[in-house]
Amino acid sequence: MQSVRIAVALACVMTAAPSAQWLKQPTPGIPRMADGKPNLSAPAPRTADGTPDLSGLWRPAAILIGDIAANLPPNSVPYQPWAEKLYKERRANDGRDDPTANCIVGGVPRSDLVPYPFKILQVPGMMVILYEAVHSYRQIFADGRSFPADMNPTWFGYSVGKWEKDAFVVETKGFNDRGWLDNFGKPATDKLRVVERFVRKDFGHMDVHITIDDPGAYTKPWDVTLPLALAPDTELLEYICNENNKYFEIIPKAGSR
Amino acid sequence: MKIRFIVVVVFAMSTVVSAQWLKHPTAGIPRTADGKPDLTAPTPRLANGKPVLAGLWRPAPGGPGVGNIARNLKDPVPFQPWAEALLKERRANNSRDDPTAKCIVGGVPRSDLVGYPYRILEVPGMMVILYEAVHAYRQIFTDGRELPKDPNPAWFGYSVAKWDGDALVVTTTGFNDNVWLDNSGHPATEQLRVTEKFVRKNFGNMDIEITIDDPKAYTKPWTVVQPLAFQADTELLEYICNENNKYFEIIPKLNADR
Repeated sequence: MQSVRIAVALACVMTAAPSAQWLKQPTPGIPRMADGKPNLSAPAPRTADGTPDLSGLWRPAAILIGDIAANLPPNSVPYQPWAEKLYKERRANDGRDDPTANCIVGGVPRSDLVPYPFKILQVPGMMVILYEAVHSYRQIFADGRSFPADMNPTWFGYSVGKWEKDAFVVETKGFNDRGWLDNFGKPATDKLRVVERFVRKDFGHMDVHITIDDPGAYTKPWDVTLPLALAPDTELLEYICNENNKYFEIIPKAGSR
Repeated sequence: MKIRFIVVVVFAMSTVVSAQWLKHPTAGIPRTADGKPDLTAPTPRLANGKPVLAGLWRPAPGGPGVGNIARNLKDPVPFQPWAEALLKERRANNSRDDPTAKCIVGGVPRSDLVGYPYRILEVPGMMVILYEAVHAYRQIFTDGRELPKDPNPAWFGYSVAKWDGDALVVTTTGFNDNVWLDNSGHPATEQLRVTEKFVRKNFGNMDIEITIDDPKAYTKPWTVVQPLAFQADTELLEYICNENNKYFEIIPKLNADR
């Protein structure tokens, strides 16, 4: 039992520890001060059509990684009773059923919260996010399409985005019922609908306003805000979760309940 | 015996060419009078005259595919003796040490050959490939940078590219020494250098000419060509290898056998 607890705790720490990127590669085309340092308070760049350019390498503030509700007043998450019970059970058992311990992708919004950088790409009709974490990616369709009628349930769901003035508003549905909203294990169901509003405030700073709307697990929608910081002069690392993942060695033990 | 069976099943799952069932009309592609994609239309080009490589592609019949990268070679593979012995060992033990059975990415060039589609994106300074297989991606820098002198050894290596006429020539080094070139287990070392020439022949067809240069495993470079077919009116699926992967259940057994 003790070894299971330690191993799960280790896996948890490994996904939670903010790591400095050690790859050095000058980012071309960014505003710089006289001394050559990136000017992170320069105005947000814009694309030819006038909307903000969100592309770049971004790192989430490491404040919501464990608890997506860390900045909310105490007891303000509007759990349904079964969801609160499951949450407490996951806290009590050290997250032993956490899908990401099994190297499964974090999904939405959890992949936004982990303290690993991600690269936003804007291409015609689509925004793409390359997540360092678990070396995964996500497509957000911005070509005006609506949601498919019968979506394949997935971890990342199906995302469509559109501009509302200077905010890029991404709506995601079509989840499976196994996603965790954060490392602590706030539940979600296949009724989950996530809205992410990406607002680039200046060159170096962006906020993501996240709305959780899951009538299967919560009594009403609730909101959190995640700050992102541009990560200049570095690059994504190759994060291969399945390389030497110690969790797999304890799966038979963790499963013997 | 049970292990043999499971390994074979995992192996088959990673090689089968599956039809995509997602239907979504691809915007802005040439179509014939009846609305079908016109895959023989000319290669689209950027304002600077270079071919557009972006789009959803899938390895097509006629190339080596991922099973045996050397399948179409006329000459014998120029193995170093140890590399040939290791390939035979992997064939004999049903690829029990295949990294992709553990849901690790296929790396280069194996990810190009696998029978799942991938999306090529072109953004300023970079080409990106989103592989359906293992839900992985790869960055290829096209901003003129050099290969790094001391790269972190990686499964995908470090890729830079430049145009040579109408061919985008991608050079990749910086591999770790665990990469398999294909499902059958052709070995590679950290001295591997892969050159991929992407040549779009028309709207619906592209060739990747792949040169394997690994002086530690092979006595000279060798080259194969994998054709790709454009995938119209469909989309990538979410491929989560770690979901219910039966291989993990037999790892303790495999380890106990040694």
